[in-house]
Amino acid sequence: MSWESVLPNMLAGDAKAVACPPMESEEFAGFYERSARALWAYLARVSTDPALADDLMQESYVRFLGANRPAEGEVAARRYLFRIGTNLLRDHWRRPRQASIEEIPEEFFQAPDESGHSDSRAVLGPAMMLMRPRDRQLLWLAYAEGYSHREIAEITGLASASIRLLLFRARHKIARLLREQDVNDRRQP
Amino acid sequence: MTLFGCAREKEVAELLKLGQWPHACPAELRAHAGACRVCGELVLVSGAFQRARTEAGAVARLEAPGPLWWRAQLRRRNAAIERIRKPILGAEIFALTITLLVAAGFLASQAGKDHGWLSWFEELPKALHFEALWPSVPTSFESNLWLVVPVLAILALLSGVVVYFAAEKQ
Repeated sequence: MSWESVLPNMLAGDAKAVACPPMESEEFAGFYERSARALWAYLARVSTDPALADDLMQESYVRFLGANRPAEGEVAARRYLFRIGTNLLRDHWRRPRQASIEEIPEEFFQAPDESGHSDSRAVLGPAMMLMRPRDRQLLWLAYAEGYSHREIAEITGLASASIRLLLFRARHKIARLLREQDVNDRRQP
Repeated sequence: MTLFGCAREKEVAELLKLGQWPHACPAELRAHAGACRVCGELVLVSGAFQRARTEAGAVARLEAPGPLWWRAQLRRRNAAIERIRKPILGAEIFALTITLLVAAGFLASQAGKDHGWLSWFEELPKALHFEALWPSVPTSFESNLWLVVPVLAILALLSGVVVYFAAEKQ
């Protein structure tokens, strides 16, 4: 039983804004099961901080449940969830210094990589830490989640037209870093 | 190859998305990806990110969904209560202001008169025919005061409620 049944019509004034009724507990559990790992992976890899990813993921779901989720189905709901996560990441980065995310030097975002045990993390982790946060977001959404340019624009709030160019540059840079890393790894015994 | 891509990039991306790269794709396309910088980067980056996604998802420590759902319910409820509380507080402040203004105006108008307002108070129950409703109503001013002040306060409160509903309607 949700609190709306105890206090009926409390949100009657918001009737026009409601896109979809709030998720019930069971429905949410299913959605959480299907989306949580992908969201955590996104937040952890983009922030390079697993503990922060834990906090932001919980907050993302709480905000998702409190907002008027889109009525287009689970794919749109998932995209909306990633958008909330992206905004929380941006808020987190902005908090320590009162400056634009674009003005903060890249070194500021380079958190120590504490759990580099797996192969892919060992390969991708150092290269990701040398990328700008926005580029990490774009790359992850495009190549890990498989979102289209239009969907990435919707999630990140960037102009759809600029995604292609930004992504092209980011991909070129990380590919170069991955190749350099590969060469260095081969040199070392 | 164009400025920001290759004509065959979409083809390669589609095969990567379907998981058919590299084994279930034409050898000619594999050869192209080996020679084309754009397609080569796409294959390299996609592969690295796909592996990273799989492995990161496997190590995720997920909290149970129940507490999250209840936390969200609690937050929604608090937000709704806060929204309701705001106009009520406004109406209360308005009613109090009206009461004080009426009382102050009345006292100011009667201040110059030589206790004439005391007799007005004494006459008020008779003028409003309260004795018909409540035959045992006291007649002295000291006893009437307990009745007149609440009546004025109720009138002021009602006016506040009317303003509140009018504002809500808007």
